[in-house]
Amino acid sequence: MESMQHTAVVTLVLATCLASSAIAETKKEYRFNVGPKANISVDTQYGAISVKPGSSSQVVVTATLNSDKAEVDTQQRGGRLEIVSHVLSGGDAQTGRIDFEVQVPTDATLNLRSSTGPLSAEGLKGDLSLEGADAVVDIHDVSNGHVHVRTMRGPVTLTDVRNGHVEISSISGDVTLKAVTGPLVQATSGSGKIFYDGDFGLGGDYKLTTHSGDIEAIVPTSTSADFSAHSMLGAVHNDFPLAPRHSRFSFAAGSSFFGTVGKAASDVVLRSFSGKIRLKQH
Amino acid sequence: MNCADVQRNQPDITDGAGDPELQAHLKSCAACSELVSDLGLIANAARQLSSFEEPPARVWVNIANQLRAEGIIKEPRQVPARVTPAPRRWNAWWLAPIAAAILAVGAYEVSHKAPQQVAQQPTPAVQATQQSSPQVARKSDPAPHETLQANNRSSVPSGASAESPAQQRIDVSAPPAEQDQQFLSEVSEGAPAMRTTYENQLQAINEEISETQEYIKTHPGDMDARQHLMETYQQKAMLYQMALDRIQ
Repeated sequence: MESMQHTAVVTLVLATCLASSAIAETKKEYRFNVGPKANISVDTQYGAISVKPGSSSQVVVTATLNSDKAEVDTQQRGGRLEIVSHVLSGGDAQTGRIDFEVQVPTDATLNLRSSTGPLSAEGLKGDLSLEGADAVVDIHDVSNGHVHVRTMRGPVTLTDVRNGHVEISSISGDVTLKAVTGPLVQATSGSGKIFYDGDFGLGGDYKLTTHSGDIEAIVPTSTSADFSAHSMLGAVHNDFPLAPRHSRFSFAAGSSFFGTVGKAASDVVLRSFSGKIRLKQH
Repeated sequence: MNCADVQRNQPDITDGAGDPELQAHLKSCAACSELVSDLGLIANAARQLSSFEEPPARVWVNIANQLRAEGIIKEPRQVPARVTPAPRRWNAWWLAPIAAAILAVGAYEVSHKAPQQVAQQPTPAVQATQQSSPQVARKSDPAPHETLQANNRSSVPSGASAESPAQQRIDVSAPPAEQDQQFLSEVSEGAPAMRTTYENQLQAINEEISETQEYIKTHPGDMDARQHLMETYQQKAMLYQMALDRIQ
């Protein structure tokens, strides 16, 4: 009996391997001439989207299809380019997966959407909007644009984002911000953690909020900011020497600290319902 | 029209709902679409908040009408037939008014009966340790509708397909728990693989709303808590919106 079971398992494994090898990857390349500040949307239900800077007047899209159970539709109207994948009848998350590698002008406006991800963008200067349910989101080396990210569970990492209007919202994903500065930087997560490593720039509004996730900010001693931290049911820790200041509002309960460092150029609000908040020096 | 044009014309956006260029842009731009939706909602909520203790049924009708006027509720766009049609999208426009309603509930709870903010004496920059940690009971149903029951039961978006099965199940004035079930049913029908994910996330957000509401009952003067409640409602609306974007 055991021998029969063993044989059945081996046969099943072999069949699975053969079926997998039968799924051949196909690469398709698309090229589009675009003007300045083109608006580019890439939407795939299953698969990765990776965007890098390329030619100033051309968009190059390389789509990797896992099977013939999915197809790519493209549409270009004026300055707007849409790349959309469709899962065909009988397709699923595996066979319907299409990965996109996209090269765009650095000033392009991008809308990227994928349920599974990952989503990544680097070296760009236009507005970015990324959305993915479970997608891992990675953005680095971007500047001077709006960066909007929405995920359900996917973790979000931003690195070297300068002069950005940054809004990140995740229901349970972790958010990591390294050297992210700009006039507005907001990150919200329900149960995910938020980690900030940077100097909070000069003259920006920073707001990091969670429900149950912890918030940790590591900043250099040269920081110039006005800090307000409040956790309604969680603990707060502050290793930073803050100068006292007037507070407009009283905190009804919970743990809190507030005060300024340097000339208080930026306004920093750290708030959690039940998560821990920690402000540390570099 | 692009994002910059939308930003420039913000004050006129709600009046320019019929502008085909604006509508075309909103279809392709999630950020602007969300902005316009929020603007309409805020304008509508602001008109209502000053004049009543509890939002009457007309709030929900107005929200639906506003969304309809803005073109957010509309006939499903006709797409060219494909050789093999993709099965993944279905009509879920009914989620739009529900997402807006969630935001309205949050706005109401935050702004209504808010205590006067009190100026405080100079405070040293030291952390104030919490005196007590009230235990917060978790609930499966946050039931924010306790003060927001609406009597109108006919706010089905008229712009949607009159005979669609989804429309027949829609009731934007239903209690939130019922709306959640409708929402999950639609997800089950259109994308069964996503059901568990959405259900878990929805449950987590509902628990967060419930926890915050319980806290505010014992700490009515905590403005941060009220703000936090609003943002949690926004997250719930975002969840609905993400489903709308993905599965419509």
